[in-house]
Amino acid sequence: MTEIAYYVYCIAESAAAAELPADSLPAAIEEDAKLEWISAGALAALVSPVSRETYSEESLVEHLTDATWTAIRAMRHETVLEFVAKQATTIPLRFGTIYLERSGIEQMLSEKSGELKKIIEQLRGREEWGVNIYIDRAALLSSITTVSPILREMVQHAEQASPGQSYLLQKKIEALKSDEARAAVNRIVDQIEEKLREQGDDVRRLRILKVETTEHGELKAKFAFLVKRLGFERFRNEAERLAQEHQAAGVRLELTGPWPVYNFC
Amino acid sequence: MSTFDQVITTDEWENTDISLLETLDHVLNRGLVIAGEITISVADIDLIFIGLNVLLSSVETAQEVLRKRHEIL
Repeated sequence: MTEIAYYVYCIAESAAAAELPADSLPAAIEEDAKLEWISAGALAALVSPVSRETYSEESLVEHLTDATWTAIRAMRHETVLEFVAKQATTIPLRFGTIYLERSGIEQMLSEKSGELKKIIEQLRGREEWGVNIYIDRAALLSSITTVSPILREMVQHAEQASPGQSYLLQKKIEALKSDEARAAVNRIVDQIEEKLREQGDDVRRLRILKVETTEHGELKAKFAFLVKRLGFERFRNEAERLAQEHQAAGVRLELTGPWPVYNFC
Repeated sequence: MSTFDQVITTDEWENTDISLLETLDHVLNRGLVIAGEITISVADIDLIFIGLNVLLSSVETAQEVLRKRHEIL
C-alpha cells in the first residue's frame, strides 16, 4: 500500500464542519481520494489523503513546474474552499500544506486554537472581493488635458496666447502629458482604494506579477477587500459609481469574487 | 453603458480568460501559511507561478485546464 500524507485545505469551526458531511463535499485534490474533517476541540481541518511519494517536497516542486498538473490541482483546491466558504466561516490555507500524520493536524489545531479562533471571528460574515483597475492608455492620454489641473490651465493659456506663445505652450503640454497621465493614474487608484475601503473592513494592495494587457487596457492595480456580506450591495454600488466617475479617463474596474478570504488571514 | 459591466462571480469563471490566472494567483500565492511537514515555501511558489503565468498564456493549455475544471464541478 502506498504510504499516505494529509493535504490540508482549510480550517473551520467543528460545529460548522458537522453540517458539511464529507459525502456532500466536492472532489478532492487527487480524484481517487475523499475529503474528511479532522477535529480537535472547537476547530476542524478539512483534509484528504495524498500519496507521500507524489507530495514529498522534492516531488511536489517537480510537479509544480508542470502547468497543467498544477492548474488542475489549484482549481480543485479552490473548488473545495469555495464550497465550504459558502456555508461556513473558513480559514483558507495555502496550496501545499501537508501533514504526514493525523496527530500532527490535531496537535496544530489545539496549539494554535487561540490564534485560529481569533481569525475566524475577524472573518465571520465577510467575504473577499477583488478589484482590478485597468487603464486604456490611449483614452487616458486623450482625456488627460481635462483630467490634469495643470494641463487644463496650460491649455486655457494656450488658447488665449499669441500664436508664438501658443506654439511653445503646446510643446510643453505634449511633454507634460505622459508625466501627468502617470500622476493621474496614481491619484485615481488611490481614490478608488480609499473610497472602497470605507465600504469594507480591510484592504490589501496585491502585487501585479506581470504587466497584463487585456481588452480592457493595462492592469494598473489589484486590490482585495474584506467586505461584510450584508454590506456588499453598498460596496458594489460605490464601485459602480467610481467606475462611472473615471470612465472618461480610460479607467475600467473589474470586480471578482466572492473569494475565500485568502488575503486576510 | 457603464464601464462596470464586468462583475465576475466565481460561478462564471469558466467563461473568462482571466479567471484561471486569477484563481492560480490566489490559490498558489495566498492563504494562511501553517507549517506542515512539507509546506512549499512562499518564495518557491512565487517563482513557479511566474513560470506558470507564461506557460498558461498558451491558449491550448488554458482551455484544456478549463475543460477539466468543468468536468470536476
